[in-house]
Amino acid sequence: MSTVHKALADTPGPALQLQQLSLSLGNTEVLQDISFAIKAGEVHCLIGPNGGGKTSLLRCLLGQMPHRGSIAIDYAQASVEAQQLTGYVPQQLHMDKTLPLTVNDFMAIACESRRPVFFGMSSAGKSISEQLLDRVGLGANKRRRPVGSLSGGERQRLLFAQAMIPRPSLLLLDEPLASLDQGGVQQIIELIAECSAQGTTIVWVAHELSLVKEVADSVSCISRQLHATGPVEEVLNNMDPDILYRPVSDYIEVEHG
Amino acid sequence: MDNLYEPLRQYLQQLATQGDLPLSFQYGFVVNALLCALFIGPLLGAVGTMVVTKRMAFFSQAIGNAAMTGVAIGVLLGESYTEPYVSMFVFCLLFALALNFTKQNSNLSADTLIGVFLSISLAVGASLLLFVSAKVNTHILEAVLFGSVLTVSDTDINILILVSVLVVAIGGPLFNQLLLTSLNPSLAAARGARVKLLEYIFVIIITVLTVACLKIVGAVLVEALLLIPAAAARNVISSMRGFVFLSMAIATISCFAGIMIPMEFDLPIPSGGAIVIVAAMFFIATTLIALLSSRYRGAGL
Repeated sequence: MSTVHKALADTPGPALQLQQLSLSLGNTEVLQDISFAIKAGEVHCLIGPNGGGKTSLLRCLLGQMPHRGSIAIDYAQASVEAQQLTGYVPQQLHMDKTLPLTVNDFMAIACESRRPVFFGMSSAGKSISEQLLDRVGLGANKRRRPVGSLSGGERQRLLFAQAMIPRPSLLLLDEPLASLDQGGVQQIIELIAECSAQGTTIVWVAHELSLVKEVADSVSCISRQLHATGPVEEVLNNMDPDILYRPVSDYIEVEHG
Repeated sequence: MDNLYEPLRQYLQQLATQGDLPLSFQYGFVVNALLCALFIGPLLGAVGTMVVTKRMAFFSQAIGNAAMTGVAIGVLLGESYTEPYVSMFVFCLLFALALNFTKQNSNLSADTLIGVFLSISLAVGASLLLFVSAKVNTHILEAVLFGSVLTVSDTDINILILVSVLVVAIGGPLFNQLLLTSLNPSLAAARGARVKLLEYIFVIIITVLTVACLKIVGAVLVEALLLIPAAAARNVISSMRGFVFLSMAIATISCFAGIMIPMEFDLPIPSGGAIVIVAAMFFIATTLIALLSSRYRGAGL
C-alpha cells in the first residue's frame, strides 16, 4: 500500500519471479513469454482486458496449468515458523443453486478437510469461521442460508472468507470486488490491507483502476503478453488506457499488421 | 463362518415367538435381510447424496449393468453362480476405471460417453448372461437385476460389512474435498485436494458398494436407493447435515418397510419392489411439501 505505513512484517510472504511464462490451451496461445518479479510482501495487481490471460496466470501460480517457462516462489525471506500457505479467491462457484449447502457448510468443507461436513465443524474451527464471516459482512442471519440463495456480492465475500483460513502468506485474488457494493468493497479492502500489513504477498486480478492506484504497490498489464510492469504510479501514468479495452485478438493483429 | 450370525437370529426368533417382535422375525432369512438393510440403507443413502450432487446417477447405473458381464465371466470361469464375487469386483472395477479415464480425457460430453458404455455393457452383459444361464439352467439375469434380499447368505453379509467399513473409513474423510471439487475444482486443488485422484476414488467407492449390494438387492435397486432417498431429502432440506441424515433415514426406513410389510401383511410383492415403492412414496411426499411451501422456496429462484 503506497500510502499506508507498513509495519515491519514478522513473516513476509514469498517473492515471486516469473521467467518466460507461456501457456497454450488447445490451439490457443493464452500467455506468451511473460517475465516479471513481485517482491516479498508486495501488493501486485494484474490488469488487462477480458480474456487476456490474467486468471490463467493466477492458476499457473497455483501450479494448476501446464505452463512453459518458470515460476519461482521464494520463501527465503520468511522466518522459520512461517508456513507456506497460499490462499485463493476464485471468481465464482459452479454450483447448482438448489444444493443444500449453507454458508456454514461451505466454510466447513473448504477449511476442515478431514471432518465430514455433516458432523459439523470443530468448535475451534467454528469460532474462527464465525469471526471471519462477521468481518466479511456475512452476519449471523446469513450463516444458515443456502449458498445458492446468496447474492453475487455475498458469495464473493464468502469466497474471500475461506481464503483467510488459515491466514495465508501468499494470497491470490481473482476479481474479488466485481459484484460488491461500496460497503462491501470497503470491507474487503480493509481485510486485504490487514493481510498486507502482516506481510502477505498479494497478487490481485483487478478491473477498477481507481482502486489499483489506491492499494497496489506494483502492477502488471497482461494481454496475452506483458505490456507493462513496475511500480503502480509509473505504469498507470505511462500506459495507453486503450489496452484495457481492446480485445486480445485485435491487439495481436495490430502487432503483425 | 455360518454360525457367526446364528446366535443373533436365534435370539430374535425367540423374541418373535414370545410376541415381543413381529412374527416375521421367526424366519432366519428375514433377520438376514434386515441385517443387510441396516448397512445398505444408511450407506446407499449417504453415498447417494454425493452421487446426486455430482450428477453421477447415470454413471452408477452403467456400473450396475456392467455387473451382468462380470457375473457371466465369473460363471464361465467356473465361479459359483450364486457368489461370483471375484469376477464381479474385478470386472466392474476395470469397467469403472476405464469409463472414468475416458471421461477425464475425452472431448465427448459425460452423458454421451456414459450412455455408450452403458448400452454396450447392457447388451454384452445380457447376451453373455443368457448364454451362460442356458448352460447352467438358472435365472441369473433376474438375480443380478433384482437381487434376492430374502436369500442372502452369511458370506454376502460379511462382504457387505467389510465394504461398509472400507467405504466409511476411506470416503468419510474425503467427503468435504469431494464436495468442494464439484463446486470449484480449482479452489479444491488450491486447498490441497488431488482432484483427479479423488474422482477415481469416488468411482471405486461406488463400484465396490454397488457390487456388494448387488447380490442382495439387485442392480436396479442399488440405483434406486442411491437416487431416490437423496432426491427426496433434497426437496425439503437446506443444509448438508439434514441432507445426508434424512437421505440415510429414508433409505433405511424404505429397506425395512419393504422387507417387513409384504411379510407381515402377506402381500404378493417382491421385497425389492416394495422397497422402491416406499422410497418413491417418500419422494412424492417431499415433492408435494416442497411445492406447497413454494412461497418460501420462491426466494431461492
